[in-house]
Amino acid sequence: MSFQEKNIAVSLSIFVAILGLYLVRVFQMVQNESFNSTNMFRLWGTIAVLAVVGTILATIFTHIVGGIVHKVRTNEDPHIEDIQDERDQIIDLKGTRVAYTFSSIGVALSMLTFVFGQPPLIMFSLLIFFGVLAQVIADIWRLTLYRRGF
Amino acid sequence: MGKSHISNNIRKLRFFRNEMTQQQLAEKVGVTRQTIIAMEQDKYSPSLELAFRIAHAFEVPLDEVFSYHPEAEST
Repeated sequence: MSFQEKNIAVSLSIFVAILGLYLVRVFQMVQNESFNSTNMFRLWGTIAVLAVVGTILATIFTHIVGGIVHKVRTNEDPHIEDIQDERDQIIDLKGTRVAYTFSSIGVALSMLTFVFGQPPLIMFSLLIFFGVLAQVIADIWRLTLYRRGF
Repeated sequence: MGKSHISNNIRKLRFFRNEMTQQQLAEKVGVTRQTIIAMEQDKYSPSLELAFRIAHAFEVPLDEVFSYHPEAEST
């Protein structure tokens, strides 16, 4: 597994955890009848911060842990392929395209809630859900392309 | 998706160049070893520039490294 693949796998794990956390928190809020705009926007902020910090930590974690594992397994100094060549860039772009597609579908579905007379809070909840879900799907797609080829 | 219509002789050419390693070739042409592996397994078709760089690294014409099989499209 290349450095890029490890990085995507760690990022995927983090975003799945963020998505899980988000769903659990929303479910809790609905159960406690505290599903209001104040709590929802606080959760929005938390998710945004977690996503940014998570992405940075994923890169650092992959560098450090990948280096340690390589050293232990082969007793050689780690050779981290941190360059992004043309194949990595194409896979990254294809993943980004998938993310945009799912985000767009998500935005359209979120807007549909207005059509059905739902309050804006539902729309905002769905927006961030589809945003994180798009990132998860894009990471899965990138890993698939690395494994299967294109 | 999957197998490409462009096949190559990179593995053979490496063997005849004093068993050049994938890492050595990767460093010579400026890509990661994973990309060389993907090309050898016909899982990735390189850009024209990279194809020329590989041919240049082996000091052979481009068509000695890569060949195109259009019939693979219909199967």
